Amino acid sequence: MEGEKLILDKYIELSRDMGGKASIEGDTVHIIVPSEKLVEAASKLFNEYQCDFRVCVGTDERPLNGYFTITHIFTDNRNGLYVLLKTYIEPQDPKVPSITNAVPGADWCEMEARDLLGIEFTGRTPYRLVLPPEWPKGLHPLRKDVPYNYRPQIRGVSEKVSTTTETGVIPIGPYHPALHEPEYFELYVEGEKVVDVKYRGFHVHRGIEKLGETRMTYQQVNFLAERICGICGFEHSSCYALAVEKAAKLDVPERAQFIRSIVLEVERIHSHLLWLGVAFHVLGYDTGFMHVWRIRERVMYLAELLTGSRKTYGINLIGGVRRDINEEKKQKTLEVLRELEKEYKGLIEVALSVPQVRKRASGTGVLPREDALKLSVEGPTARASGIDKDARRDLPYAAYKYASFRVPVYTEGDNLARLLVRVDELVESMAIIEQLLDKIPKGPILLEKYEIPEGRVGVQVVEAPRGGDVHFVITGHGKPYRWRVRAPTYSNIPALRVMLRDQPLADAPLTIASIDPCFSCTDRVLIVRENGRREWLRLTGGLKI
Amino acid sequence: MEKKLERIKRSIWVFHLNTGSCNACDIEILDALTPYHDAERFGVKLVGSPRHADVLLLTGPITLESLPKVINAIEATPRPRFIIALGSCGSGGGIWHDTYSTIGGVNSLVKILKERGVEVDGVYYVPGCPIRPEALLYAVALIRGLVEKKAKSMVATVE
Repeated sequence: MEGEKLILDKYIELSRDMGGKASIEGDTVHIIVPSEKLVEAASKLFNEYQCDFRVCVGTDERPLNGYFTITHIFTDNRNGLYVLLKTYIEPQDPKVPSITNAVPGADWCEMEARDLLGIEFTGRTPYRLVLPPEWPKGLHPLRKDVPYNYRPQIRGVSEKVSTTTETGVIPIGPYHPALHEPEYFELYVEGEKVVDVKYRGFHVHRGIEKLGETRMTYQQVNFLAERICGICGFEHSSCYALAVEKAAKLDVPERAQFIRSIVLEVERIHSHLLWLGVAFHVLGYDTGFMHVWRIRERVMYLAELLTGSRKTYGINLIGGVRRDINEEKKQKTLEVLRELEKEYKGLIEVALSVPQVRKRASGTGVLPREDALKLSVEGPTARASGIDKDARRDLPYAAYKYASFRVPVYTEGDNLARLLVRVDELVESMAIIEQLLDKIPKGPILLEKYEIPEGRVGVQVVEAPRGGDVHFVITGHGKPYRWRVRAPTYSNIPALRVMLRDQPLADAPLTIASIDPCFSCTDRVLIVRENGRREWLRLTGGLKI
Repeated sequence: MEKKLERIKRSIWVFHLNTGSCNACDIEILDALTPYHDAERFGVKLVGSPRHADVLLLTGPITLESLPKVINAIEATPRPRFIIALGSCGSGGGIWHDTYSTIGGVNSLVKILKERGVEVDGVYYVPGCPIRPEALLYAVALIRGLVEKKAKSMVATVE
């Protein structure tokens, strides 16, 4: 192990080599480099220092300093550090070199910045990602001079399935029984084999980031963040609150952090059970689906007991939480957990010995480790491909440093591995709740007085059931100046192309479900196409994998 | 409307139409159909195509991207067709009522449908963020005439 000083020196040296400057604040290293050195610096961080690429953030900082900026967020998982690589872009004709050749995972977020802020990326093929077809050219909703409620008059265009004679095309979606959310996949098949996949998403772009930067206040954004996703909403609101607390250097009461962690784990249990049910349904094992959802109902009541709501808990605030866990609730929780564990173990033993489950899941939808690393995939998808990463352990937040738990890792990379990772994680989650309930300290649950200075940067990764959520906040006057959300599905969808290729068509729904896609998180932002011309989105936008 | 209701109310087949929802209402719909709440005892069945459906469960604010597809799905539903607008977002646009990429809730959708000559025979509102499965069961019971309507509807306009 390198000493802490040596690690930080490494990053300072990097910035000096690139003609930039570095500063360190808490666990975050800020590196500012000139734009011509951006690719070299990103490549060095990703390939040589083996930092994990999370997302890039475009910001309109013209009202502050007259520039657009782009910040690439990396995390150094082995040393628990956040590394932000920032560059300034001239406001007239904003152009910046693309890092996708060095870091393939940056494909989508660059195109998102192009759509929403009008930043052009050189050295790559651009395409529309987020905004709907017919969106007026030159209108970039995240620019500070565009009002949040400006609705352009556009005619709705429905895309038609393309006609090609060489390969058969199977459209899946946007409304399809196997998908619970509107997303459109187009599978190209030769016989029974899938040869290529195209994806048109972002049907659920609702403009959350813009809303958080305009109409809301700091505390209101907590509740808005919870509505990013109905399944892992609490992860988002915790992530936002932790990012703001980090930016403002607030000392949040320990008890609040414990309650956050406990509720986060309750959410993970319900989300994984939900996924297991849906996976069994897709496999054709409906008995399993019904039974899993039956025992999941216990968790929903547990959530209601602890927070007051079955879903969308609304207990997070900056500086703490709104609801305490008293002795009675603690006992009740432990009781429910015991029953749940018993029922779950019995059920999963039966479900995993059903031959069709094992047969259909093993060997299908394989994601090799190299591809997973290149595309910076997240969560159980990464852990099933042999990448040992979990933000709860690597970048400890809330009260996870007080719990001991195992991070299940499988190396097969197939659908069964992704299933088993979740099966194991569920047991760990129950153990975490028990440990934390046992160790919960006494004290207040909410910070009464605090100030949030302007212009500070906070970035936080929270391990959601699907992988790492990333929230990036620049503080402003009474509300965030810039708030960027990255959900794990955003990183995982590009990996679907690798998983689906050369697989039988019948396995496609299971493979799509196996990353536990959550499109409403992914699509917060929006996409446009010009002149109603069809411009297919490719999953990895022309990148060679 | 009474008469049209008569034609569908024996066993209501529903199609789940997510127009840009956050998933919370959507998983509660699934929850209502699984053993604990078991909406199937009222004859409710989730179907895979709008062509088989009597009622569309509309969740979420209608986003610009999904709008044309939502209209297609509603057009494909045979008459008489009803919409149950679920959650705050479905009922009135919720927190997104005036953002740049949505058109708001079911009211704005019905207006657009009228302009295009697509008729909807009735809209039921189930508010809540998210809805509880019990609320969905109540809406179904209301259609079937098993319970009395408790709330009155009022239209408020802001100048």
